[in-house]
Amino acid sequence: MTKTNRRDVLRYGAAGAVTAATAAVAAPGLAGAGPRGGLGEAAPADPRDFDETYKGKKIKGKHNRQGHDELHINNRKLAVTVVSTLFIPEDGSQPHVGVGYISALNHYDPVEIDQDKNKDGLRRLARKVVDILGDLELSDEAAQEHRH
Amino acid sequence: MAVVRRSAATLTVAEKTAFINALRLFKRTSANGRNYNWYIDQHISFFARTSDNISHAHRSPSFFPWHRKYLQLLEFDLQTVSGDPNLFIPYWDWTGSASPFTADFLGSITNGSVSSGNFSPSWGWSLYRSSISTSYLQRRLGQNASRPTAATVSTVQGYSVYDQSPWDSTVSNSYRNRNEIELHNRVHNFVGGHMGTREAPNDPVFWLHHCNIDRLWWLWQGTRGIDTYQPRTGTTSGVVDNTETMRPFAGGSTPLSVSDIGPLAYSYA
Repeated sequence: MTKTNRRDVLRYGAAGAVTAATAAVAAPGLAGAGPRGGLGEAAPADPRDFDETYKGKKIKGKHNRQGHDELHINNRKLAVTVVSTLFIPEDGSQPHVGVGYISALNHYDPVEIDQDKNKDGLRRLARKVVDILGDLELSDEAAQEHRH
Repeated sequence: MAVVRRSAATLTVAEKTAFINALRLFKRTSANGRNYNWYIDQHISFFARTSDNISHAHRSPSFFPWHRKYLQLLEFDLQTVSGDPNLFIPYWDWTGSASPFTADFLGSITNGSVSSGNFSPSWGWSLYRSSISTSYLQRRLGQNASRPTAATVSTVQGYSVYDQSPWDSTVSNSYRNRNEIELHNRVHNFVGGHMGTREAPNDPVFWLHHCNIDRLWWLWQGTRGIDTYQPRTGTTSGVVDNTETMRPFAGGSTPLSVSDIGPLAYSYA
């Protein structure tokens, strides 16, 4: 049985809570106020961040403490918004309320942010959007922020 | 003039041609101070929570009446631009086998770029504010979701509470939210491509899909009562109450004002 890493629990737990709580409104008071936010010290990379290739496209995801997570596909920005929503799985499994990412391209199809097991919502969003794009790219319109 | 909105499956070739030609004409000609791209702008703007801190069009109780008003306005503009007062928006009953994606109607390419035929650039269709860098309408039927079945529609239509607190996309026991997520969202995702985007009205099937959603609400109203919108009045912040104007429509465009389609000069067959 795997022993839970307490530091990871704290890290993911806190990041998840901040993400959900600041989905609609940024918390300026929190900006740069990390526990190790000393002058000139780079923020430590979040273990959920990624910079890799999927189906020939470069996908890069960065999780920010303030909840404004960032996603780039072939160096083009896709603005993401975190929403609380009812998920009604097509396979008939039980509906549940969760937190998910939407963007201009998956506006009706939130990608649930898995906060327990793989913690990989942003990566799954990136892959979904690459599948939607096929051999095309994001336009500047995809980078426009959107409140919900 | 009152029109009867019929299933796309019942349209004659002449009716299909008249409808798509009116859309194409409205792309390049204004009517009543609006043009086709105005509708795309409104969809993008009012999908978001606007400066009044209200979600007017989606993820809120006003999802149904907002789109009812939106479709009625487009139908009126299409009648104006075409000079045909009998023109109507047909509905796409996606539980049936008839597809609107045919060469003589909305175009037959459903697995990527609509690069030829109806609604291609050479036919006279152009995209506006696309989040995908392309000049071709995109469709990816079935890639992301399947069509709702008649059984699913029947289950959703069975929800008796119109909507309830917290009036957003997390409400479980809500006809509005169940329809929005299980039927409405799912068909957007079933068509895929631009239909799955914020700028979904770039695909003309948007109107046929929403016409069917509006028809389902009308059927639901037939069982539950016409003036059954929730929240009723004046007390709920962040959402449109029954007697509050829905933006960007003219003053007085409240959910109550569109609850009965009789005065809106259309009906369903």
